[in-house]
Amino acid sequence: MLRVRGLWDRYRSASPVTIALLALVLGLVVGAVIIIATTPAILNAWRGAFHSWGAPGHALKVTVDNVGAAYRSIVTGSIVDPPQFWHSVTTGRGWTASLTPLSETLTYAIPLVIASTAVGITFQTGLFNIGANGQAILGGVAGVAVATLVHLPTVVHLPLTLLAGIAGGVVGGAIPGLLKAYTGAHEVIVTLMFNYVASYFMLFCLLSTPLQLPNQTNAISRTMPGGTQLAPLFGTASGLRVNYGIVVALAVTVFALWLLDRSSIGFEFRVTGANPHAARASGINARRTLVTSFLISGGLAGLAGVTWVAGTTHYIDQNFLQGSAGIGFTAITVSLLGRNRPIGIVWGSLLFAALEVGGSNMQANTGIPYDLATVIQSAIVIFVATPVLVKEIFRLRALRAGSVKVATAGWGS
Amino acid sequence: MTAVASDALATVRQPLGRTQAIGWFVVVVGLFTVFGMGVGTGSTPRSTLTFTPIDVSHGAPWHLGNLTLPTEWTLVLLGAVIVALGAEVLVRRRTKGAMVRVGLMAIVFLLAVLVWASRQPGPSQVPFINVTAILVGSAAITMILIYGSLSGVLCERAGVVNIAIEGQFLGGYLVGEMIDSATNNWLLATVGGVVIGALMGWLLAFLAIRYLSDQIIVGVVIVTMFTGLASYFNSWVLTPYPNLNNGNIASNLAIPGLMKIPIIGPTFFDETGYFYLMMVLVGLVSFALFKTRWGLRVRAVGEHPQAAASVGISVARTRYVNVILGGAVAGVGGVAFAAIQGQFTPSITSGFGYIALAAMIFGRWRPSGAVAACTLFGVSAYLAYNLQSYQVPISTEILLMFPYLITIAVSAGLVGRVRPPAADGIPYSRE
Repeated sequence: MLRVRGLWDRYRSASPVTIALLALVLGLVVGAVIIIATTPAILNAWRGAFHSWGAPGHALKVTVDNVGAAYRSIVTGSIVDPPQFWHSVTTGRGWTASLTPLSETLTYAIPLVIASTAVGITFQTGLFNIGANGQAILGGVAGVAVATLVHLPTVVHLPLTLLAGIAGGVVGGAIPGLLKAYTGAHEVIVTLMFNYVASYFMLFCLLSTPLQLPNQTNAISRTMPGGTQLAPLFGTASGLRVNYGIVVALAVTVFALWLLDRSSIGFEFRVTGANPHAARASGINARRTLVTSFLISGGLAGLAGVTWVAGTTHYIDQNFLQGSAGIGFTAITVSLLGRNRPIGIVWGSLLFAALEVGGSNMQANTGIPYDLATVIQSAIVIFVATPVLVKEIFRLRALRAGSVKVATAGWGS
Repeated sequence: MTAVASDALATVRQPLGRTQAIGWFVVVVGLFTVFGMGVGTGSTPRSTLTFTPIDVSHGAPWHLGNLTLPTEWTLVLLGAVIVALGAEVLVRRRTKGAMVRVGLMAIVFLLAVLVWASRQPGPSQVPFINVTAILVGSAAITMILIYGSLSGVLCERAGVVNIAIEGQFLGGYLVGEMIDSATNNWLLATVGGVVIGALMGWLLAFLAIRYLSDQIIVGVVIVTMFTGLASYFNSWVLTPYPNLNNGNIASNLAIPGLMKIPIIGPTFFDETGYFYLMMVLVGLVSFALFKTRWGLRVRAVGEHPQAAASVGISVARTRYVNVILGGAVAGVGGVAFAAIQGQFTPSITSGFGYIALAAMIFGRWRPSGAVAACTLFGVSAYLAYNLQSYQVPISTEILLMFPYLITIAVSAGLVGRVRPPAADGIPYSRE
């Protein structure tokens, strides 16, 4: 009894984790409302709900069935499908099908962890890098270019491909960083615009001679040779897509932990983000901090792009990181969800990757478009960004969380 | 708390020499026009300007003959004008107004590019420049941008950054297109756009004012959310019910006498109702913000909310009203977009909301300035989209980057020179 009481108290005092979990619940509620409001079967059931006794019950059942089927598909498509799993356990067969959901979630989480860390580092410095997507595109293009146009032994070629990705992203990060440091151009506008520039640049490269797949008129690149691909973790024969990119993602997380908590430059980042006046008064070179933060962030975003290509598709086409596939945009929400901390970002990436992958499964099973996942993610982040709102909805007691502090307000002139 | 960061980062800037840099840049562009494009073309090529609009369904304006110019000398002249602009910036040594010269330079330079691209004999398949068609096309894009900029002015003058304009465009577009498809009535569609835009404005206001969230972040997340929602809606509702996404393009309402004036008539007086509404709104917002008591209060809230509150103005209410109004205006902008563009596709607004925001900053948070900036962006975007037909030796993808690159360049050349409302983007709480 005491123990339950303790849990209850912990729930009532809103810790960041509690807020995040409650935000997830609220996000799913928003998703359910959208499904209910737009699904013809449910709407038709409710239209006839007041014609006869029992009809409201029927309408309610249709609603619960539809929403339940959608959310069940998200879980079975991203984590595990119990009957399939039980089948594998009892017969020892079909393990590929049983493990595919988890494998897909991890596969998608890999670039998301890297890109979100990229965004998180700028947030910690008090900057807003909305251009992670463009930087990831540049990274992917540069990586594919080095992989397909240079011939080297694997030992050198794979690292060089990843480095090319980082370099591409660094170029993308240098532009807003240097422009802000030397001309005062606001990074939000520059990075937003740069996303479009990067997309058109990619299209230009994909339609130009060296990168385009020979004898093609479509925007599609050559395929990366085997030696430059990040191999599947359990071998190609396993049929599982989760790949050695996971090592890259872990390395990035460790690097970010070291950078932010142990290195002097990371300390300068955090001081600048927390209180720029204090940073300047203590002799931190604001301009250098700003540019470095953007270079590191851009480099990581580029790495995310190249890791995604090298681990999954091995080529890029005009849909690379466009629209709903834009991991650079999802990364912003993940970073906010993880409070811009490397470990939080790992958890956030896993959750949002699961939502994306599960969303695709939901579309396959129920027809409800996977874009719903984006809506749920955004809703979650809106709630996380306004913890007071969550506190009021659930009548939590004290607020230990505090809001996500990011120093981007205003146009900085 | 959050705004200080940007302030301190801003102080690292050293604006010394910026005016000179801008001046030299303009001079170099001018010299390039004279020597790179002009002198090389030789004395034979001629460029022809025509003035008859493409769409003459409401009657053609009074006829103007073609104007044939010697390409080389025209380019040399235009280049000289640009050099003169740059020299003037260098000599005057005043930062104020330098960017206006850059704007003028951009327009003259684009004109030079057109003259150069359409020269005959030359590679172009279009042997003339249709000045009127260019202006009509640019006016359409400019109109959309102005709606967005006005929305930005309304919000930011009250101290709230509305970066969700892009999302409000998208919402207005989707709702407007659906209502028009269902009812074939643009008036109802406009009402729908007002409602959805206002709702989205309210959401931003609710989170930014009541919960003191970071406005830029909440704005970006709202855009992400509505982009997802629009995509979802497109495949879940519009694909199975294509009747909801095949509305007509709004027809033009020509003003009888005035539309007969060559060039000006088709551009300003043979437009959709949304164009006239935009012109009225520009005047209205301008007047309301700078000549009425309401406007004074709004600006006070945007500049110094504590002072405003101390004389009894409700900061929160003023901000709510303005952000909701701004959302509604952007929503109408979305409907106007649908009225000239037709069918909805998920990424149709392609960053216009953000460009509008940048134009508003370029226009120094004033409706009149925003109109000028939007015109610059509108003309350059239209030309970038249409230069392909002149067989310019630049690939389409690179041309399509231009509107975004210009936005980046302008914000780099400029932001230090403008002063936003002092409390712009800073949450206000009473304690």
